[in-house]
Amino acid sequence: MNCKRILAVTTREWRGMVRDRLFFAMAFIVPTVLMLTFGYGLSLDVEHSPFAALDYDRTPISRDYLNRFIDSPSFNFKGFLKSERDIYPLLASGKVRAVMIIPAHFQERLLAGRPTAVQTLIDGTFPFRAQTVKGYVIGINNSFNMGEFSRYLSRTAGMTPDRALSYLWPIKTEVRCLYNQNLRSDWSLAPRLMMMVLMICPPFLSAMGVVREKETGAIYNIYSSTITRGEYLIGKLAPYVAVSIFNAGVLWLIATKVFGAPFRGNPLFFFAASILYVICTTGIGLIVSVLVATQVAAALVTFIVTVVPTVFYSGIFVPIGSLGEGGRIVARLLPAMYYTNIVTGCFLKGVGFRVLWSDVVVLAVYSVSLFAIGYLQFHKRPES
Amino acid sequence: MRDKSDKRHAGLFTRGTPLLGRFLVWLRRLRVMTVKELLQFSRDGALILFMVYAFTLDIYLAGSGVKLELSSATMAVHDSDRSSASRELINRFRPPVFDVEGAISRGSEGVRLLDEGKAMVVLDIPPRFEKSLLSGAPTHVQVRLDASNSVLGLFAASYCRRIVESFGLETGLKRLGIDPRQPGRAPQVVNAYRVWFNPNQNNKWFMSIAELLNIITLFAILLPACAMVREKERGTVEQLLVTPLTTFQIMFPKVLAMAAVILAGTTLSLFGVLRYCFDVPIRGSIILFYAVTLLYVFTTAGLGLVISTIARNLGQAGMMAIITYGPMIFLSGAWTPPEAMPHFIRVLMLLSPLHYYIDASYGVLLKGAGLNLLWGSVLGMGTLGAGLFGLGMWRMRRQFQ
Repeated sequence: MNCKRILAVTTREWRGMVRDRLFFAMAFIVPTVLMLTFGYGLSLDVEHSPFAALDYDRTPISRDYLNRFIDSPSFNFKGFLKSERDIYPLLASGKVRAVMIIPAHFQERLLAGRPTAVQTLIDGTFPFRAQTVKGYVIGINNSFNMGEFSRYLSRTAGMTPDRALSYLWPIKTEVRCLYNQNLRSDWSLAPRLMMMVLMICPPFLSAMGVVREKETGAIYNIYSSTITRGEYLIGKLAPYVAVSIFNAGVLWLIATKVFGAPFRGNPLFFFAASILYVICTTGIGLIVSVLVATQVAAALVTFIVTVVPTVFYSGIFVPIGSLGEGGRIVARLLPAMYYTNIVTGCFLKGVGFRVLWSDVVVLAVYSVSLFAIGYLQFHKRPES
Repeated sequence: MRDKSDKRHAGLFTRGTPLLGRFLVWLRRLRVMTVKELLQFSRDGALILFMVYAFTLDIYLAGSGVKLELSSATMAVHDSDRSSASRELINRFRPPVFDVEGAISRGSEGVRLLDEGKAMVVLDIPPRFEKSLLSGAPTHVQVRLDASNSVLGLFAASYCRRIVESFGLETGLKRLGIDPRQPGRAPQVVNAYRVWFNPNQNNKWFMSIAELLNIITLFAILLPACAMVREKERGTVEQLLVTPLTTFQIMFPKVLAMAAVILAGTTLSLFGVLRYCFDVPIRGSIILFYAVTLLYVFTTAGLGLVISTIARNLGQAGMMAIITYGPMIFLSGAWTPPEAMPHFIRVLMLLSPLHYYIDASYGVLLKGAGLNLLWGSVLGMGTLGAGLFGLGMWRMRRQFQ
């Protein structure tokens, strides 16, 4: 290892990067733009779901029942339908997400103290949204029933409505949401997005950097020089790691200042862990670069091996516990999950090294092995 | 050789039927250039390998094992009552939504489990729970949950409330002497919901289609853009410019070749993964699906061409592809429903071709919708595509002349 040679490669790489002004600017702009767009746009809150109603009863009680949905912020009422034939085109074109059908004699049966049925048709194209809409329907329906029931009891059994309600609702549920009391989706999303952006951008930079030399043939200068492959790789990747560490800082600022996510952990520990993670993801780029020969392939491969596993197997949307058996194994094999533990731990939970040490160790092992594989697979003597 | 025969043919035909002759030459040039692109593509072994991976295994990975809703949430119970009522309540927390992992003896242990991520929900049942329930005194249970994922936190909170409420209602009804399983005399609304188009809310259907569309988008932006930028980077575009080819004849074959490759990948994925592994139904016309896909590939390729006129090397092109791809995915409406977005973003959505394509392809595959319902999406996509293609052509022409 000759520090002077490493420095020479680093300086050359840095100059090359700075001179390609568009690329250099993009190296900083892309992470920021991704973080901002995803942070603002990727809310999974299901609100204002458009729905329509078909009311065969048209009585005060049926109107009252529907009003509970119309007034709820979870729904956006689009109007009454005239016949059942209107339902399919509305649902199929996605103009409404649910249609509620109230049968005739709705009021009559309720006043007589008998159960009655209402049908809700839900568009299941996006199962997650269907599930949420279903939950809202059940909730609103339950509270309507509770009121109807207590009024009925007070009418027939001579209780006060409050007393009737205490019969029907004897247990209160006190829910405390830890770490994110108001269930703000930007709080929970912003730290995880940091994980995601730092998974996509560093490998892209490093893979493109190495493969560009391979494709243009500039790498033959390296092959024929006295520099060792270790020196070359360290010198070559150092500027990219530096850029990514800087970006990690910017992303942290966006998460805390723009999205207002709380940071409750130890900044020093978090910074160290983030550097480790950036080195690790840069290593992924290195592996890609030894596998492919063209920049097109490098761009696509980096994209595919980083984006999909990060989105699905990192715990960003789906907690690891909810994955299937196979999914859990995939998740354990990827570095993203461990860093997700670290970001949520440091940002929201305020836990430190004592709880997260195992995740840090895994990231370290990961980085070392990625660079070892990259080193062993990178040859100064190409076969052909 | 080819040039010569070109000219000979041209001469031959221009004498007799000039228009037809020129058209044949035009077609021939298009074909030659398309074949050239396909050949170049087929020689990048690693790229082909990953393309196959993307259209098969990647979509399989995305489709299987990913659930967005709450399932198997680990739960720890701190039961200070240890009565039959408390046990019955605990029994209501069942799989697949909850996974009751075990009992804890102290409240502080719950915090530790939550901190370490070993439990998502901790249920505390107070002492004298059963007694107050039987005597009609109000009582409460406490639920502490890990809300670091706000969506799941919301789900967990509403599930817990619902379970406790219905348990309370049933005990209350029993005290009133009404059988909760036969509420024939109780005035209540039974809201029977039916889910259309995906009755079992099979996430695999949604996820695998979404991922297929994402992959198509990625390739449709990157492949034509890279094919164009590569010529610029290596300088071979100069050679093309001195040939009698027009700008359109240089650009269009790249799109044509990549569209062919992408449609092949789509077929592989549609039948090999979606149909075969996940039983995704194709309820509408498959021809319509392919037509829409083709239109989408052209539209998105137009975007790629615009990128290729801005980028000078592949590194820049790749970066610009990422920066357009990210917002396209989130403006598509697959993840965030349009109605939950701020108004100005909904306007921006009209500029995302993926937004139209998602409506159209889910419409055809799952809903069995035809052109009569989807014409709006198809029209929007076509307009956008024509605009992007025109812009790309215009910029390209300006650069080279």
